[in-house]
Amino acid sequence: MRGIEVLFLAAVGAMAQPALPPGYVGSEACQACHQDIYDAFQKSPHNAPAADKKYGFTGAACESCHGPAQKHTDSPSAETISNPGKLPAAAADKVCLTCHLNQHTQVGRLESSHMKDQVSCTSCHKVHANGGHDLVLRKASAINNQCASCHLNVWAQFQRPNHHKLPEGAMSCVDCHNPHGTIRPAMTQSFAASEPGCFNCHGDKRGPFTFEHAAVKFEGCGACHEPHGSANPRMLTRQEVRLVCLECHANLPNPVSTNSALGVVPPSFHDLRSPRFQNCTVCHQKIHGSYVDRNLLR
Amino acid sequence: MKPFLILAATLPLFAQQPAPAPAAAPATAPAAPAAAAPTDDWLTGSIDLGYRWQTGVGGSLDTYRSIVNLGSGVKLVGADFTIADPKHRLFDQIDVRAYSWGDEPYESLHIDVKKKKLYDFNADYRDMAYFNFLPSYADPLLATNGAILNEQSFDTHRRMGSFSLDVLPGNWLIPYVAYDRDSGSGTGETVFVNDANEFPVPNTMTDRTNLFRGGVRIELKRFHVTLEEGGTTFSSGQDIYQPSGPTNLGNNMNPFFGQTIDLTGLAASYGISGSSTYTKGLFTANATPWLDLYGQFLYSKPSTNVNYTQFDTGNLVLESQLLFYTSQQFLLSAAAESPHTAGSFGGEIRPFKRIRIVESWLTDRMHENGSANSNQTLASASASSQMAALLTSSLVTNYNQEEVDGFYDASAKLVLHGGYRYVWGNANDATLPVAGLASSDRGSLSRNVGIAGVTYRPSQKLLVSGNVEAAASGGAYFRTSLYNYQKWRAQARYQATAALSFAADFSLLNNQNPLPGVKYDYLASQESLSFLWAPKSGKNWNFQGSYTRSSMYSDIGYLEPEYLTPDVSLYRDNAHTASALFTANVGHYDGLTPTISAGGSLFISSGSRPTNYYQPFVKVVLPVRKNLSWFSEWSYYGYGEAFYLYEGFRTHLVMTGLRFSR
Repeated sequence: MRGIEVLFLAAVGAMAQPALPPGYVGSEACQACHQDIYDAFQKSPHNAPAADKKYGFTGAACESCHGPAQKHTDSPSAETISNPGKLPAAAADKVCLTCHLNQHTQVGRLESSHMKDQVSCTSCHKVHANGGHDLVLRKASAINNQCASCHLNVWAQFQRPNHHKLPEGAMSCVDCHNPHGTIRPAMTQSFAASEPGCFNCHGDKRGPFTFEHAAVKFEGCGACHEPHGSANPRMLTRQEVRLVCLECHANLPNPVSTNSALGVVPPSFHDLRSPRFQNCTVCHQKIHGSYVDRNLLR
Repeated sequence: MKPFLILAATLPLFAQQPAPAPAAAPATAPAAPAAAAPTDDWLTGSIDLGYRWQTGVGGSLDTYRSIVNLGSGVKLVGADFTIADPKHRLFDQIDVRAYSWGDEPYESLHIDVKKKKLYDFNADYRDMAYFNFLPSYADPLLATNGAILNEQSFDTHRRMGSFSLDVLPGNWLIPYVAYDRDSGSGTGETVFVNDANEFPVPNTMTDRTNLFRGGVRIELKRFHVTLEEGGTTFSSGQDIYQPSGPTNLGNNMNPFFGQTIDLTGLAASYGISGSSTYTKGLFTANATPWLDLYGQFLYSKPSTNVNYTQFDTGNLVLESQLLFYTSQQFLLSAAAESPHTAGSFGGEIRPFKRIRIVESWLTDRMHENGSANSNQTLASASASSQMAALLTSSLVTNYNQEEVDGFYDASAKLVLHGGYRYVWGNANDATLPVAGLASSDRGSLSRNVGIAGVTYRPSQKLLVSGNVEAAASGGAYFRTSLYNYQKWRAQARYQATAALSFAADFSLLNNQNPLPGVKYDYLASQESLSFLWAPKSGKNWNFQGSYTRSSMYSDIGYLEPEYLTPDVSLYRDNAHTASALFTANVGHYDGLTPTISAGGSLFISSGSRPTNYYQPFVKVVLPVRKNLSWFSEWSYYGYGEAFYLYEGFRTHLVMTGLRFSR
């Protein structure tokens, strides 16, 4: 009975729609068996091909992703229809990129580790979601949960006491990273075109300072801070400030063959046994850069 | 704040989604709960209002405020609702999300308003309390020396607003405008540094950045171009002062050449203003069916101007001239600019069905320069002296990267990946005339990186992927920079049954710089395992958990500055992190289902800074009637450090409230 119904609806659909390419049956044929998805899909932005001629799938939004469904309506089974959610990543992405390739979100795609690691669009985006709300997650805690489901050890770093406030739901991973890829390392966002995205919130560290701390500009905040979380105060990479500093400002001669030791050395009055010199930033308080003092003292 | 709370409380809202994840939400929580089925209701959503009791903090209140900072009082825990206009007049729908309002440390509000093919407006606002006063950071020898706490500490708020409007979304031509604002203000403790002594003093600080931008996106079938122009304005001020009262003796109580160095008065003020313009251009194109191209050009030119004034009195000294003085006036004007250009270009070529080749090139170039003109007047009872100085500075970095990657689809189940990256660049850092700590330095960067990876999906239930990078360098900017390194990463996901799934993650970074005088040795690894057990699709209960073990080892030598004796900076960190969440539906009555959740996270580490941090919680949601639930939650925060016992804290928090939903 069901097969006859489907065939009938496919025939009716084919008559009602503008001419579809051979093998296509139109979305109303899909509705016969997939009523719940069909209903939800009516409010989805992904239903756009059904009404917009520019996509070439008028009345056949389902088939714009699943391909021609004639065989499937003739013989309903999982084997007779393409399911992008079960395709290899590159093949699944090809379906999405049919429409989405030439959009601003895809500019960094080929530089992203997601693309290189075969993470497909459907890993993060729910194509059948309701009303356009969940095609992509919007709520910070939901975004974080989704990223954490793959990046388990990164999420573990956020459980450390000093961390950016992601577990609290005040921030999300995409505040700092662009999952589609960027030209910056670790797919980090940029601020005002070409500057590190950290300055989006930490504007007071942006400068330009009259006297810069080269490490901040050359290697970014990660040279001294663990951006996800740390047991060390201020998310520093070491347990004490002086050790963060001394590992570069080491007083040892630079290697002759290369230039691998930018950085000056502390003068001899720095008696590290004294509390005064335990934390370099007691005096060198403008460690991110100073507008006033070449030694970053004020 | 209060009007917002009242407004939110009076809205007749009804829930279809659970409350936001608790602070200790486990790592492996599944994707967000599915949205409710679309209905024709003009209003759908929920609002959670409650009251939190904090039982008081045992241990260090300063540490508690630096790490947790949750307090007692009435709270808008969360509001998440959608207003739809069935007639689609001025808008199709408005989405509102607000979390943690009511004197909370992290308050957020997000509003989306959209009308199909006409406009899409987004507004986002956050207010974050930034309190930081960790005693061990202020003085790591506090327990033994009892020195003055004078490291920088803050009690500030950062407020961030972001507003954007896209016109004609979905059209081929999409103009857009946006405005972002980031500001911070508050008070703190800082240090006034003078030769031979440094003095803890209070300060106030403000900063404000405005970002204006606008552009157009052209999206056609074969290519896309985005052009954006923007600008920023920046202002920042910091006032440092010595309050009236007793003389400030500073940190150094030892007389200097027989005299006590002290501070009796101080007024210092930074007046900083800045601006920037930038240009951004992006494009993508599929030139042929076998070739995709992309590129971007980014340029910004921030600049700042500074007027600094300082007046201080006391018994002070200029060490280089052994000049004692009783008052100082220091005036400085400075300027800096930092033109910054970045760009990339690349493409994907598909010469055969199973082969993809991705070629990319990028460059990032920043050439910064600054100058400072200062006048200093030192006066004592018998004489005064004046000094003027003009300093110039420059900082240049040119970074370049070229990478080629090949992907081979060996079968529908197996993808192989290989690649090569070359990174090169140069940098210099100079302040003239050379004096003091600052000098003139040059560096170069040269690195060859080999890349390999594999993705194997033998069935829909199992996915295994891994990749490795191995690099050899001929130059790096800093002693601790990546030099000769290997990065390993592996992941696996397995759906054992319809109800039970596992995920595993492994990563390792081994970096070494064997050059004489550096001898850097760094090794970090993390191994994680998580599971989700949800029989009957979690209808009655589900249980999820994760465990991560991480270790880090770093070893590099330095010379202790005073006597040039060799020493080693040795860092060890071995950590165990676990989280769990058990959720159960407990019985049914009148079609209503109470739920109970219990879980939390723990972090235990040993090594250079042994730390433990526990965050368990239990939450009960009890439906009162169809659109009204009562919820109650207990949570505990316990923190301790083996080397800094005085920093430990523990506290219980209890929250109870009502959820209105529709």
